[in-house]
Amino acid sequence: MSESAAPAAPLEGDLVQKARHGDLSAYDELVKRYQQRIYATLYHMTANHEDANDLAQESFIKAYQALKSFKGGSSFYTWIYRIAVNKTINFLKQRKHKYHLSLNDLDFNAEHDPDLVALVSDKTPLRDAGLAELQKKLNEALLKLSEPHRMVVVLHDVQGVPHEEIAEIMGCNIGTVRSRLFYARQEMQGHLAEYIKPT
Amino acid sequence: MNNSEQAFEAVKRLLKLKRHEVPPPGYFHQFSASVISRIRAGEATGPQTFSERLQLTAPWLAKLMHLLEIKPGLVGACATGLCLLLVLGAVVTEQTDVASPDLLTANGSATTTASLSPNIASPLAAVGEPSGIVADPNPVTSLQPVATLFGQPNSPLFPAPAQPASFTSPGSGN
Repeated sequence: MSESAAPAAPLEGDLVQKARHGDLSAYDELVKRYQQRIYATLYHMTANHEDANDLAQESFIKAYQALKSFKGGSSFYTWIYRIAVNKTINFLKQRKHKYHLSLNDLDFNAEHDPDLVALVSDKTPLRDAGLAELQKKLNEALLKLSEPHRMVVVLHDVQGVPHEEIAEIMGCNIGTVRSRLFYARQEMQGHLAEYIKPT
Repeated sequence: MNNSEQAFEAVKRLLKLKRHEVPPPGYFHQFSASVISRIRAGEATGPQTFSERLQLTAPWLAKLMHLLEIKPGLVGACATGLCLLLVLGAVVTEQTDVASPDLLTANGSATTTASLSPNIASPLAAVGEPSGIVADPNPVTSLQPVATLFGQPNSPLFPAPAQPASFTSPGSGN
């Protein structure tokens, strides 16, 4: 009796079908499900909150408009991710190297992450300043990577998306994903050498 | 390989910091609402911008425009090509203009014939030569160069209006 039957979350397929027929509340539910992951990817790609916000919104709007062409061959999640990734890569190509950092704040847990504390404690006694500086350097290093390399690093190393899924999202094979990841990490290693202590 | 993996571990540890970057509080509470309201606004008004309309009506043209936006060099090449075409067109037109007085000179004899004949044999010559207009016995037909725009006035499609023949030869007393 004490167990309250929580309403089961509607299946993704059902929501997609309803949204296809113009049910905006169903689409609202889909947006809520994936907004954080999509936004985070775009933010890490652009290092700019406003750009990420615009791109994420436009990706969801474009996906809604193109929902009739969604065949269901992949999951809606992969499909919307692909739209967002393509949109962002096109945007970054247009922007070229003229980037403007607009970084989000670090959450409370960052100051207590032992790995991060260890990384910055040697650099400066002021932990907050150290983390902020590291955040800036890290984002600048990421922006130096090419868009496909950056995308792979963001999806795998930051968001933990598996190789197979990245290959599906980016429309390439797993070997390409692994190779891009290797070269991207190597480049990052060079850019962030001052923070990487030899073991 | 092992060393590089270890080094990559350090990079991965550094990248963990990215997971702690969060948008302003309450950002995601409004996100879906603004997406839905933008969709509603778009449905109410339809595609507003030129690019949106183009995307719907001619996606291939939209892609081409996008390609041109991304590669400014391509725009330059296309513009240069168009300018060259324009210059070439102008040169060809000038050469044609230079050739046309010769044609008129060659038609000089025809003009004389036309001035004598009531049925205009060569309307171009009649228009080109002022003397042909003055000497023509029927000024109304000779002063209508518009008819020449549609080809030969004597063609089956444009039959020449019947004209009363009236010749005045120097020998006749009338």
